[in-house]
Amino acid sequence: MITIENLTKYYGNNRAVNNISFTINDNEILGFLGPNGAGKSTTMNMIAGFLPMTAGKVTICGNDITKEPVKAKKNLGYLPEIPPVYPDMRVREYLSFCAGLKRIPMTKKSEEIKRVMNLLKITDVKDKLIKNLSKGYKQRVGFAQALLGNPKFLILDEPTVGLDPKQVTEVRSIIKDLKKEHSVIFSSHILSEVSAVCDRVVIINKGDIKAIDTIENLEKQTGGSLILHIRVKGSRTVASNIIEMTDGVKEITKINVEGDDVYEFTVQLDGDGEAIKNKIMLELMNNGIQISEIFTEKPDLESVFVKLINSKSSKSGIEELFDEIKAENPETPDDEADSDNAEKEDNE
Amino acid sequence: MFSIYKKELQSFFFTPFAYVVSALFLFMFTFVFNGGLGNLDQATYFFSFPNVFYNVIIMFIFLIPILTMRTFADERKFGTEVLLMTSPINVVQIIIGKYLANITVFIFMLAGSLFFPIYASIKGDVVESQLICAYLGFFLWGAMYIAIGQLVSSFTENSIIAAILGEIVMFVFLFVDDFAMTEFIAQYPGLQAALYAFAAQPRFAYFSQGFIRLSDIVFFVSAIIVCLVWNYISIEQRRWKRG
Repeated sequence: MITIENLTKYYGNNRAVNNISFTINDNEILGFLGPNGAGKSTTMNMIAGFLPMTAGKVTICGNDITKEPVKAKKNLGYLPEIPPVYPDMRVREYLSFCAGLKRIPMTKKSEEIKRVMNLLKITDVKDKLIKNLSKGYKQRVGFAQALLGNPKFLILDEPTVGLDPKQVTEVRSIIKDLKKEHSVIFSSHILSEVSAVCDRVVIINKGDIKAIDTIENLEKQTGGSLILHIRVKGSRTVASNIIEMTDGVKEITKINVEGDDVYEFTVQLDGDGEAIKNKIMLELMNNGIQISEIFTEKPDLESVFVKLINSKSSKSGIEELFDEIKAENPETPDDEADSDNAEKEDNE
Repeated sequence: MFSIYKKELQSFFFTPFAYVVSALFLFMFTFVFNGGLGNLDQATYFFSFPNVFYNVIIMFIFLIPILTMRTFADERKFGTEVLLMTSPINVVQIIIGKYLANITVFIFMLAGSLFFPIYASIKGDVVESQLICAYLGFFLWGAMYIAIGQLVSSFTENSIIAAILGEIVMFVFLFVDDFAMTEFIAQYPGLQAALYAFAAQPRFAYFSQGFIRLSDIVFFVSAIIVCLVWNYISIEQRRWKRG
């Protein structure tokens, strides 16, 4: 078990991480989620014992990382954001060096290197110079290094950044498999990734923990209300009036102009989704408005994420969330969250 | 520690690096040696290997920084520092492993130069006591410069800057006794004595004359220890100040 207590880090006068505490249980994948610059890497560097903390304590299997670093680090495999590889070494040579660093006995060394190379599927590049490898392979070599010696805990800092979609799925499935023997802390700013892989999520923004919970519990936080999407052809005012007047409609959160007289409404519902949907459909058709598409969906984790990250702001409600996402004015207070949202949209 | 040492050696010997540096060293050595032979009739003193070493040491200022500039600067540049720092080894082991690897390359360089005294002793006479002492002094001086170069390399992530800084520091160490002997400094005997205490050249002079004095050995060894301890402090300090 890794225990993190009141961890704080200041860079000069800048507070990067503010008094955070959480634990990582055995055989668990913990997602560490936050926008760029939230303090994810700093926290991970502190847990791995690379950066000293300003205050607080990290204990790995009962060993304090600052007081007994060698013992604590023995149980740890760390893949930093930039894979720590030597460009002038060959893959096998590099892994053999890392095995030496991790004090793997000579007799087990080659077996262990073979194992991680097979796991990460880098056996066919084992004699190549690392500088000639693509970003994805470098990432995998770095990952292989973290797995050497089968450490109990793995800290992976954005392991899928820069990989192609196929590699991303591969790496994700590797991480899932690791759960059998290891605990993994896994940081990302991509929500879908975290929800696909992790058991629990720590959401962090600007150095503060916004939530620590399971994915299911976080989903529940949205209140279970459904979101309705309707694409119509006809008058915009008439359509929006009808939708707004229908019982059970909370609010129209977004109207997209799709073409001549074609609009897409995003509506937040309150209550029995199916009944409201039918009611709206009937009303719209009675008023001569054509419906080309209508469906309901559960609110995704993304909105929970955005909500939690922006939870400091006084304005509340989903309206503001979409304002933030769609914000085109540069005065938006939270630039990081915006760029992050943009990335998420790209991923979709 | 051994794995760091091995990796450093690999990075020197599996690439042309160690060979190029050694070749450069031998080139300079040969150049000075032949120059000495050529001027034999005009030589004030008799021609000796210690004299050759004297002249070669000036070349050290350019050679040693090339050897040591990458030691820590490249680790920072490639982000592999993180790997070393998060492995179950401590910083002292990293520093000593790297230092020993640099020393090994230096010994490799020196070994090449043995050709000349061996050849000379076959064809003529060599004062062996002087030669052995000169080699010992030469080695200690080089070992001190390597410690300095390694320390300077931990200050920056740019290896070229590390090399240039190293050259400056080594230059100062080489000529501090000349500076101490200037008339200006001579006005302040205390300062002169203090500066002179840092001078390596007079100490090497004893070695080249065939003396092994404990105080000289202590000078070089303590300089090495100070540099390596400072190296440790500089690495730890940067971790704390980072950001």
